[in-house]
Amino acid sequence: MTKLTRRSFLKQTSAGAATFSLLPAIPALAAISHSPEAARPELPAAFSGPMVVHVSDVAAGEITLLVDAREIVFRDPEIVARLIKAAR
Amino acid sequence: MSSHREAPEISKDPVADNTDVYAFVSPDDPETVTLIANYIPLEGPAGGPNFYEFGDDVLYEIHIDNDGDAVDDITYKFRFQTELRNPNTFLYNTGRINSLNDPNWNKRQFYSVTMMKDGDETVLAEALASPPCNIGPFSTPNYAALAQAAIHPLPTGEKVFAGQRAEGFYVDLGSVFDLIDLRPFQNLHLNPLPPAPGVNGTNRLNVHTIAIQVPKNMLTRDGSNPTDPKDPRSLIGVYASASRQKAKILEHNAGIKEAGPWVQVSRLGSPLFNEVMIPLGLKDLWNAQDPKNDKQFLTYVQHQEVAHLLTVFYPGIFPNLAAYTKARADMVAIFLTGLPAGIIPGFQNFTGATLADLLRLNMAIPPVKTPNILGILGGDLAGFPNGRRVFDDVFTIELRALAGVTIPLVDPSFKPDASASVVTDGLTPSNINSPFLASFPYLGVPYSGFDNPNA
Repeated sequence: MTKLTRRSFLKQTSAGAATFSLLPAIPALAAISHSPEAARPELPAAFSGPMVVHVSDVAAGEITLLVDAREIVFRDPEIVARLIKAAR
Repeated sequence: MSSHREAPEISKDPVADNTDVYAFVSPDDPETVTLIANYIPLEGPAGGPNFYEFGDDVLYEIHIDNDGDAVDDITYKFRFQTELRNPNTFLYNTGRINSLNDPNWNKRQFYSVTMMKDGDETVLAEALASPPCNIGPFSTPNYAALAQAAIHPLPTGEKVFAGQRAEGFYVDLGSVFDLIDLRPFQNLHLNPLPPAPGVNGTNRLNVHTIAIQVPKNMLTRDGSNPTDPKDPRSLIGVYASASRQKAKILEHNAGIKEAGPWVQVSRLGSPLFNEVMIPLGLKDLWNAQDPKNDKQFLTYVQHQEVAHLLTVFYPGIFPNLAAYTKARADMVAIFLTGLPAGIIPGFQNFTGATLADLLRLNMAIPPVKTPNILGILGGDLAGFPNGRRVFDDVFTIELRALAGVTIPLVDPSFKPDASASVVTDGLTPSNINSPFLASFPYLGVPYSGFDNPNA
């Protein structure tokens, strides 16, 4: 895993979150977000947001994405752990 | 109030606050039904420069169940968009507004109507104009004509109106919330005072109305024309709602971003249901629930707090009511299932066993030439609780029902107290300054800010 600083984290998560909503498969999403290449992912030009990422259940590692009029729920304890670490 | 500021959260969000719902066979066009949903309670007519308007970020809906399961079969959805012509003035209008396209009107609002039926959404119309608010004789000199121009026919046969109207719900707010100190009967109250006429606490205030008039056969489950009051196909259950998107982000440049699915924040079927039956701790939950889940609130319908309070604040006046300890099956029938056939001759609006707060209308009951504002209690089968007309005295009807006059419908052993059939807040439609209209949208011309500066 790449070393996490607050600056790099914010850069990664803001870019990574935009990627998440457009990926159909959640497991693949988790893999990309943790790989070194994910630091500067290629952003789809069509997405204009807004998107809200809600850690809806910390214990279960559950994340809820709110985008347009949709709600997408998935589990990724690693992302949740990194978000909590960044929030401290 | 009927459902004005009735729950803690929605009292802070007036644009989404559903205040009244009406459903009735149109008196001037009895082959149609008129459905009305009001929002934004207690609008002071002089409330400029940002006069009242619908929320661009609110989803307004009127729901119709026509097969008795308390789930929408037809839903009309309304979305609004505000257009600001000139952002460099503080004025709502820079001169007289003589038409809906008048360039002097700076802040206009348009809306779309979408129908959902059998799971399919169809946009029926877009960019329909709302009328302005009633500002005063210089700004909106011919207001009635402006509002008339904002009645739009839809290509599918309905007609719609969305805009400001005079508040039609009349109630003595000041006395009701002073621990039911009803002025005409306050000599009998625990805190006795000389009797006095009622005072309409909503007079000279406005609301925002969404009204749609629909051919009856577009509302029945099979497209039939309802003519037989006994036929279950003649019945519809109606409620209205307002929803907001799940997330809202406020930005430092005054921008607002919203995302996520729509979440219901207000709903209303029968007047006063959430207002006086549901306790404070559950009112927000009630607003967020769909009617099909109302079984969870059954105990509050069976055991009415207002009925108990009448016996406390009017000692000795309601002895039979005070002694009645059974669950109120009459209230359950009126508010949660509808009244079955055989209870009131010639009438039924029983939609089935599903407990749900819906305004139930038997569309086969025709309008009457001389309506009684007490509806079914007054022998007029075309009035509340058979749907609700704009002029029905729903406060007095429900007050008398709560006081016990409807218990014998389901429990013939009960004898209502003599006071139950006369108790009232003392108001009639004559206590409304802007009279109801004889035609769509039926609610009166809104009060102007100039003429009602202190309202």
